[in-house]
Amino acid sequence: MKKIAFTIIFILILATSVVKNSTKETEDKIFAIDENTRSLKTKLSEALLEYNFLSSPEKLTQYQNQYFKKDLMKINIIKIKEITENNNLILVNDLIRNKK
Amino acid sequence: MSNKKNNIILEEYENEFSYKKSKTNLNIQFNRIAFIFFVFFVISIIFSIQLLHLGSLKKENNIKSGPNIKNYRADIIDRNGNYLAKTVSSIDIGINPVEVIDKQRLLINLQLIFPSKDYFEVSKKLNQNNFFYIEKKISLENYEKIMLLGDKSIKPEEKLRRIYPQKNLFSHIIGQIDDDNQGISGLEKSFNERLKQKKEPLRLTVDTDIQFLIREQLIKFNTIFRSKGAAAILMNVNSGEILSMVSYPDFDLNKREKVVDLKFINRATKSVYELGSVFKTFTIAAGLDEDLIDIDTQFLDLPKSISCAGQTIGEYSNKIPSDLTVEEILIRSGNIGSVRIGQKLEIDKLKFFLSKIGVLNKIDFDIGEVGKPITFRWGKCKLATVSFGHGITTTLLQLAKGYSIITNGGFNVKPSLIKKDGDYNKTKKRIIKEGISEKINLILRKIVTNKEGTAQLANVDGYEVGGKTGTAQKNTLGGYSNSKVNTFASIFPTSKPKYVLIVLLDEPKTNSEYIYYYRDGKQPTKGTPFNTAGWTSVEVAGKIIERIGPILATKHREN
Repeated sequence: MKKIAFTIIFILILATSVVKNSTKETEDKIFAIDENTRSLKTKLSEALLEYNFLSSPEKLTQYQNQYFKKDLMKINIIKIKEITENNNLILVNDLIRNKK
Repeated sequence: MSNKKNNIILEEYENEFSYKKSKTNLNIQFNRIAFIFFVFFVISIIFSIQLLHLGSLKKENNIKSGPNIKNYRADIIDRNGNYLAKTVSSIDIGINPVEVIDKQRLLINLQLIFPSKDYFEVSKKLNQNNFFYIEKKISLENYEKIMLLGDKSIKPEEKLRRIYPQKNLFSHIIGQIDDDNQGISGLEKSFNERLKQKKEPLRLTVDTDIQFLIREQLIKFNTIFRSKGAAAILMNVNSGEILSMVSYPDFDLNKREKVVDLKFINRATKSVYELGSVFKTFTIAAGLDEDLIDIDTQFLDLPKSISCAGQTIGEYSNKIPSDLTVEEILIRSGNIGSVRIGQKLEIDKLKFFLSKIGVLNKIDFDIGEVGKPITFRWGKCKLATVSFGHGITTTLLQLAKGYSIITNGGFNVKPSLIKKDGDYNKTKKRIIKEGISEKINLILRKIVTNKEGTAQLANVDGYEVGGKTGTAQKNTLGGYSNSKVNTFASIFPTSKPKYVLIVLLDEPKTNSEYIYYYRDGKQPTKGTPFNTAGWTSVEVAGKIIERIGPILATKHREN
């Protein structure tokens, strides 16, 4: 009985140390990845901010006025088509039916 | 005097109390196994406590290394992930004149890096021996150059700044912050703690492209109709998600100016207005909900005007017939017919219905700038005027909510600016009887398509627009002025409503030069014939739907 109890305790201690060790290794890896992605995340958010600013509707309208003579077209909803794929067949349908 | 003898008997006192030290018979006898278990138990408790302690410490550290910097604020993004507000770090360059070794040399070097500065001023500041900033938000290129000078007096300071790439576009929604990083208006105020504590961006329901297109049209028509201001709300009638909310005039958030002028008030949520005939839809919906009327119920021999407490209530046009069905009352915007429906309903039922759809009391919203409808005492005359939308005030946001409920099948909605991931279908609660929305939508569509209707200018092909106009005189102290508030509450598509668009023009005027191009092919006409919603707000709504419609039909199809 005593031997069994001691063996169980010993196994539990051993298992705990193994698990703890592997957890520490995983934590280290996560930390390293986190640190490496931190700068990338900052760069991405800065690039996104720049993109948002440059492609904002206000900027696009400004570019349109600057580089194109004609006004932007208003799209007629009736003329918008929808492409769907069904059993390797490409179907082109009106986006909406013309309801008066 | 008696010589009675008093005998005193003394008895020996025997104290039986004797102090004895109590002895416990507790005799703990550990056997060896139990003792070992006990030691292990104590060790494991100590180990667990330490683990918990370390765990909590690590969490604190994470926060410190992450966003918990003094001036940190989480970003705000639109429904498509575009930045509306962002915290960026920047470097300010200061100079401490006390530490300058060679002033002339420093001035020459600075002149090479920043050639456009006024060096007479800089020289004066250098001589005053007080710390000053030579350049704020320096570029990376200039930062490298200035640090290469190796001058000890040059002090770089890293700062966090809040920038708003869309400038004026969301000024009333996002709001402002003060110099201490505290939100003072809009979402910056109402979500102040959330923005300061959580790293994740705050995702809104608004769409930048749609907001821009709506604002562009409001600015254009604000000039054409010389309005004091304008506002518009585009909301999903089923989920309550606000795709756009514009109040004009607005302000550039990046300028960080103190906004105190009343002209910048949020006309979409803060200002309360008497909105006029747009309320007739609510009166009729209430009548239908109470089963007191149907859309073909006839009202015969309606007078051209009625009198109440010395006030005359008349029709806006003498062409309105005396016999009208409920449907015709709404299409032709009949005041007297609406009063009759209101009288059928009586005060309690109309009041209950208006409360139920959320137009009577202050609304609970995501931003703090919310107006409170003016309270009043109900009476016979008040019932009559409220029936056609006069003598009752509400905000544009509440009007949007009311129209959403009566057109979406009768389900309650909560207008929101914050994007939520949950399915709104699971939580929706019916507050109006089934089948009423279909009847109302049919009439709203006829207001736009029928020649007797007041909103033909909004009949944009392909969108099945329906709606109701409202022209109201502005109330002043003790009466009404000639200034007007023209509103158009529209929904589309009427066969299965998805969006409500409300357009309001505050004190518009007619324009004799503006050319109206009719959508039914009629010859264009020049000049605004009447200062009514039908000739002003409806035109604006039509132009807006024409522009935002393709985006809504394609980009927001699955949303």
